[in-house]
Amino acid sequence: MSRIRVECRHRYADGFDLHAAFESGDGVTALFGPSGSGKTTTLHILAGLLRPTAGRVLLGERVLLDTAAGLFVPPERRRIGLVFQDHLLFPHLSVRANLRYGLVRRPGRRIDLERAVEILELRQVLDRHPHTLSGGERQRAALGRAILRGPELLLLDEPLTALDEPLKERILSYLERVLAEWRIPTLFVSHDQADVRRLAEHVVVLEAGRVVDAGPTAATLDRAVILEMKSPPGPVNLLRVDGVQQVEGHWEGRVRGQRIQLPALAGAPDSAVFVQFLPSDVTLTCDTVAGLSVRNQLTGCVRDVILLPGRAFVAVDVGQLLWAEVTPEALRELGLRVDSLVTCLVKTSAMRILR
Amino acid sequence: MSAWGLTVAEWQAVRLSLQVALTAVVVSLPFGVALGWLLARRPFRGQSLVETLLNLPLVMPPVVTGYVLLLTFGRRGWIGRYLDEWFGLQIAFTWKGVALASAVMAFPLMVQAIRVAFSSADARLAQAARTLGAGRLDAFFTVTLPLARHGIVAGCVLAFARSLGEFGATLMISGSIPGRTRTIPLEIYNLLESPDGAAGAQRLVILSILIAAAALYASRLFERRAGRAAG
Repeated sequence: MSRIRVECRHRYADGFDLHAAFESGDGVTALFGPSGSGKTTTLHILAGLLRPTAGRVLLGERVLLDTAAGLFVPPERRRIGLVFQDHLLFPHLSVRANLRYGLVRRPGRRIDLERAVEILELRQVLDRHPHTLSGGERQRAALGRAILRGPELLLLDEPLTALDEPLKERILSYLERVLAEWRIPTLFVSHDQADVRRLAEHVVVLEAGRVVDAGPTAATLDRAVILEMKSPPGPVNLLRVDGVQQVEGHWEGRVRGQRIQLPALAGAPDSAVFVQFLPSDVTLTCDTVAGLSVRNQLTGCVRDVILLPGRAFVAVDVGQLLWAEVTPEALRELGLRVDSLVTCLVKTSAMRILR
Repeated sequence: MSAWGLTVAEWQAVRLSLQVALTAVVVSLPFGVALGWLLARRPFRGQSLVETLLNLPLVMPPVVTGYVLLLTFGRRGWIGRYLDEWFGLQIAFTWKGVALASAVMAFPLMVQAIRVAFSSADARLAQAARTLGAGRLDAFFTVTLPLARHGIVAGCVLAFARSLGEFGATLMISGSIPGRTRTIPLEIYNLLESPDGAAGAQRLVILSILIAAAALYASRLFERRAGRAAG
């Protein structure tokens, strides 16, 4: 597996200063941060489309860039695939010719075109031109084109942004299939915490041109540094709900044994779904409450309390970690500290279902 | 009289005009593509000076352009002298001079069309090609150039039509030698100056209009296709 190692500085004409220093993980690494934090610039430096002011880039043991030594490997010799946010399929070529563009320029062993077409379900559109494709088809074609180049590292620039929820789910499943089939180390850029949690094993957090944190996904995203970032991204809760079933006309499931009521599910559900909601949608109470319109009460231990100016975040272990946002005053009145027992109330209507 | 009711002299003029226009387009095309690409994609120091020089033939009286060309490429001109001395190549008062005058007069139009074509094609597509293993030249010839092809063809058609109409600069550098440098416009003028020439002039006028209309129509067709490909 080729890890990428970066240590770069880039100064723009407008004064924006990027300082990217990180190392990717073995599988899928997310480059996470709000827009304008320098994520796309970093990808372009890695792909060789932008020469940074100073720095070094290594892919495995291979040096791709070393400004001090005057070394610069051009993009066509880097073996790094890049899927652009707006796909950039060649408009004058058919989908088939787009897919073959990188394939025929690849030295050595080739990835089977037929296999890629099958996995990405592109057979129906092979002879069409990009401008006749739907957004999802374009995304898949761009992914296929990058993979057929046989890259040692795959870069994805916001692959899931601007997609509506059902389409996003489909693209995610294609992405997961591709990563399972070819096991290409992947670095993907995102500002959506839910996407990062689902796809990445490792995350690098970028803010205002600086790497502010890095590490395994769940641990890193739950650290204070994320909470301190101005939203978006801010913190997001993502809970796995098992044993989903329909009971007396509504849907419900369980989070580590505690019952939770879900919003209406369209179609036959899988046995497990993910629900997403904001920390501000969580109400905390120290007693179990009867006679309440809020149906979801999850009890757990306080694991962490983070005080910020004007707001506070409480991490509660209800079997999975869950963040609640409260005012510092409320925090004081409830007397919450680490190891307190607390109940989290979440309105079903605040939940978003991710399958 | 020969085919289509044109006289031998008139046919010679038509053939010469087409030969000259075609030569002018073919010879200037590589320079037009290079300069159009440079102006669209690689802003450089002194760009406005180059643009001014480039567009000068559009705004100068053609006779002045022709005279400058004569001073430069004539047998005693500062370039023409050496062309003659070293290569035995004579430009002035030959069909090559006509082609040169046509090329210079049409070049701004050609570059403008090609430049617009390069500007309207997304430069990042060439970057995408680079990440897929294409070198600079490979990406240019397989992505950038095909994307601009409609604009390039339109520029050629425009330059071709402009060349067919060249009069003033041609007269200055190459005169009006029957069968050698007398193109359609010069032949028309010549016929109108001579007694009983009116009928011949009319035939050539009609032919000129037809050629110009065909060129313009072809150019419109390509532009429409370019628009569709971009959208």
